[in-house]
Amino acid sequence: MNTRGQRILLWTAPPAVALFVLAYFAFPVFSPPLSPTLTPDQVAAFFRGNVTGILGVSILCNLIACSLVPLFAVTAVQMSRSATSSPVFTYAYIICVGVGTTAFILADYCWGMAAFRPDRDPQLTSLLNDMAWFFFVAPVGTIMVQNLCFALSVYLDQRPDPIFPRWVAHFNVATVAFLAPGAFSILYKSGPLAWNGPLSFTLRLTTFAVYITVMFWALLRAVNHQGDERVALA
Amino acid sequence: MSGGVATVPRSGSEPAKSWRTNRKLDQWIAFWSVPFFFNLFGLVFVPLSWMMPPRSPSSPTPRIVDFMHSHNLLIACVILTLAYGLAPVSNACYLMQVKRMSVSPAFRYSMMVGAMTGAIVGMLFPMFCFGLGAFRPGYSTAVLTMLYDFGYLAFIGSLGCFCVMWMAFGLAIILDENNILPKWLGYYTIWQYVTELMAAPVWIVKSGPFAWNGLMTFWFAMILYVSWQFIVYFCIFKAIKNQPESEFA
Repeated sequence: MNTRGQRILLWTAPPAVALFVLAYFAFPVFSPPLSPTLTPDQVAAFFRGNVTGILGVSILCNLIACSLVPLFAVTAVQMSRSATSSPVFTYAYIICVGVGTTAFILADYCWGMAAFRPDRDPQLTSLLNDMAWFFFVAPVGTIMVQNLCFALSVYLDQRPDPIFPRWVAHFNVATVAFLAPGAFSILYKSGPLAWNGPLSFTLRLTTFAVYITVMFWALLRAVNHQGDERVALA
Repeated sequence: MSGGVATVPRSGSEPAKSWRTNRKLDQWIAFWSVPFFFNLFGLVFVPLSWMMPPRSPSSPTPRIVDFMHSHNLLIACVILTLAYGLAPVSNACYLMQVKRMSVSPAFRYSMMVGAMTGAIVGMLFPMFCFGLGAFRPGYSTAVLTMLYDFGYLAFIGSLGCFCVMWMAFGLAIILDENNILPKWLGYYTIWQYVTELMAAPVWIVKSGPFAWNGLMTFWFAMILYVSWQFIVYFCIFKAIKNQPESEFA
């Protein structure tokens, strides 16, 4: 079995990343990130003033929301090649990807909903905005477990010629620590842990960007080394 | 928990060796994460937030508002968002035994999709409904009571994702010719399916045995579920333990 399909799927990641970067810079809600201390009236005024930008990015993100899934799918395929007693971490990884991506889509919907009819009761616009931030920043649990599953499958791989170098596993464990603060954004409205703070917002998004880049190169290497070996995932 | 990982695998027939080189270490790690997850899950929903046992759907409005403002809901939310990724690990642990059965992969794929959808609609979304109310105390009463209803209905009234999981799990056990899990467990799992059907009226009635805090929809279903969960867990333990090393590639 050749690895052409996996390589094609992998190379869909760079354009996907480019679109996410475009969405990030074009999104009025992120420049600078809306403060959680704004009153419902201020939030409603902001949405009334930025309908085009918010709606445009919501539609773009609706379309590209799942565009990193192929990268994760190739990761799962490579994980399943490791010599362990079962693909238990591969299965957990795939479920985590499904759950985490859905949370992102819900965040996107909430922002889109708020901009769709900006003259709604400000209480409701504010609720949709809060809900969007909750879904965007807080649910780090799945990507944390996902990366731990990846790291464990590398650590437990008993092949003489490992699929991934061990530093990739260490790197995944480190990302878990950097992503965790996002969960605490629920507790604070100001300071580094608030949803617009350096720990919950900047550190988390930077970690994610670095993580995708590193995984892309690690996967490219793993797929190129696979050769004619069959994959036994099912 | 690490003690369990270290000692359990040695009880097999193979000579005692370091737990680090045990071939089933991946499955044992996933297996021992299950009690860790369910303890956190119980902690979040019962003593921390007092979301469970469920409050009444016909509570007077001031009591709903008071509850939706409790700060502990936020702490519960934080713990859940950190821990909810472990639910996929416990599902995957059970799925590994379904994978060993003689049945089609379609059974475990169905369970997998049920687990994905269920985690969002039955766990993360309801918890966020409660957390949002506590996050911004300025919300009007109408918004808070809607979040309260949405939270409880999503938590207790999420039916279909779990229906497909229990159906696929029960059928796989009954149809399996490798006897990975005992047949009676398959028939017991049918009861799990029935509890989901019984919970459907929570979307209609606001008091009595079929309300979301009712005797039938909550307490009876909960007693069946908790005991079922313990029994499944024990059966999975035995299945991993009895899995012959010759199965590994």
